[in-house]
Amino acid sequence: MAALRSTRSRLLGSARPAFRLSAAAPVRGFAQLADAAQESATASGEPAKLKTFQIYRWNPDKPTEKPKMQNYTLDLNKTGPMVLDALIRIKNELDPTLTFRRSCREGICGSCAMNINGTNTLACLCRIPAEDSADLKIYPLPHTYVVKDLVPDLTQFYKQYKSIKPYLQRDTPSPDGKEYRQSKADRKKLDGLYECILCACCSTSCPSYWWNSEEYLGPAILLQSYRWLIDSRDERTAQRKDALNNSMSLYRCHTILNCTRTCPKGLNPGLAIAEIKKEMAFSA
Amino acid sequence: MIAQRIGTTALRRVAAKPDAFFTANVARLSVGAMQTRPVATERLTPADANSILAKQRLNRPVSPHLEIYDKSQTFFGGSIWQRFTGAGFSGAMYVFGASYLAAPLLGWHLESASLAAAMGALPFAAKGAIKFLLAWPFTFHAVNGVRHLVFDFAVNSAFKRRTIIQSGWYIWGASIVGGLYLAFFL
Amino acid sequence: MASIARSALLRQATAAPLTRQSVIAGSVRAAAFHTTSRRSLLPPLPQRVEGTVNDPAPVPEPSPSHGSYHWSFDRLVAASLIPLTITPFAAGSLNPTLDAVLCATLLIHSHTGFQNIIVDYIPKKRTPRARKIFTWGLNAATVVVGLALYEFETTDVGLTEAVKRVWTA
Repeated sequence: MAALRSTRSRLLGSARPAFRLSAAAPVRGFAQLADAAQESATASGEPAKLKTFQIYRWNPDKPTEKPKMQNYTLDLNKTGPMVLDALIRIKNELDPTLTFRRSCREGICGSCAMNINGTNTLACLCRIPAEDSADLKIYPLPHTYVVKDLVPDLTQFYKQYKSIKPYLQRDTPSPDGKEYRQSKADRKKLDGLYECILCACCSTSCPSYWWNSEEYLGPAILLQSYRWLIDSRDERTAQRKDALNNSMSLYRCHTILNCTRTCPKGLNPGLAIAEIKKEMAFSA
Repeated sequence: MIAQRIGTTALRRVAAKPDAFFTANVARLSVGAMQTRPVATERLTPADANSILAKQRLNRPVSPHLEIYDKSQTFFGGSIWQRFTGAGFSGAMYVFGASYLAAPLLGWHLESASLAAAMGALPFAAKGAIKFLLAWPFTFHAVNGVRHLVFDFAVNSAFKRRTIIQSGWYIWGASIVGGLYLAFFL
Repeated sequence: MASIARSALLRQATAAPLTRQSVIAGSVRAAAFHTTSRRSLLPPLPQRVEGTVNDPAPVPEPSPSHGSYHWSFDRLVAASLIPLTITPFAAGSLNPTLDAVLCATLLIHSHTGFQNIIVDYIPKKRTPRARKIFTWGLNAATVVVGLALYEFETTDVGLTEAVKRVWTA
């Protein structure tokens, strides 16, 4: 609260001192100590670093209204370094109706996937570009149905994930009755695949997936598919390949590679898909 | 968070301004004997809930995609230009083929001799421009085609993020240089 | 605590000061959203989900001739075009058989390329008739162009030679 007040005073400067007085009236007595400390630290003369965030808004309660872009201006000196910090601050202090998903704030849950300045990424892993003064544009994941504001509907994505049977399928029990073992080399094949958090950044960056998400599985699901295809413990490799062997599920990938360029976890869905194609070409 | 703050504020107000209804309610809540929610809820079967969801889904807009996505990946990406140049070339071939078959019926002259003569009659600049417009898509499609074949062999190093971006720009440079060479120095 | 905090009545009780706080001059501005194209050719349909959220998406029947075989064949054709286009110009000699092979390969490459475009942009589920028309239209066009290339190869000087003559004209 106190931080907000000082933002406002910085925004308006000395031009409208009367406003400051009136705005200070409805004070809530929460976390005031910490904020006061912060205020005294930043009030020492550091100039305000204003940044405008343009955010996609759509309210399901007013379905006839078209989606719009709303601008919010924050002082970056009082905001955390990541885009998610800015979003949370906007929601806390400027506009509680702004809706977005977030959970872990450390890039492991995949909730805050959104399109920031043209590329899909996790808001919690994306720094606010402080050096350039251009507005930061935030959209929901591209070509998804919007539930509200920055919240996309990922039903189809999850249904597709379910369709590839993302679990170990095996008939023979392990020889010693204990866990299914694999060699170090076999385990190494899963590196770069098991880390996927299914944030849908890559799938929704793929133009092929934009046009054909009904039938094309998209990079994220295909990466998962490959993760089970090359698992040495899985015994349904042939069936898994058969499920992909049609014109739509896998072969709508045209190696555009937006997926690899956008993955916030630094994984390589494009390479995984290429490996699947290669394997299917040489084994079938 | 905000809701909690509001809650505390409200409680504080209640404490400051005693009110029969509020104090009674708050007291009951704090004891925890019974929870009252001053909101009316209705019982919904899963089927009903589903139909409400289905109705809501129909209203949902599709988030912007091509128009907001990073232009260097969509409009200047090698992939889509592979398609543009390929479709342009193949389209030209199809149009030429069809008109070549129809030419005797329509009295057109599309034999190679007359085409070459028509080309030879053009001034140098027009000749070069036409040649470049033909040569650049060809070189682009060829260079990027090789790049895509490398991708298809799942060559690990080609898939590094920086390599993808760099090779994406190199094919533009290489195809333009190659196109100029074919158009003006051959 | 949480249940008290979230009760609507309490929220209403304090809603007024909150909204007053959030309206800060100049820090919140809204603009109509203009970047969506108004006249898209095949605008996305309203969202409909088949089955419940917990049903997996349907898995199509395997058909390698549209899947892996088709893909491998495509790559073979594309890869073979590289030597086929370079050889006649590099060698300087003209071989009618090689020229015919080049024409046929080009035709197949174009045909599968157009097929890919149709499959990508004309969804079967949504526009089954347009899909059929385009697919068969493409087949017909390919036959016509195949005939034309045959004519061109047999009555004219052949593809490579024609390109060479026009280029050096």
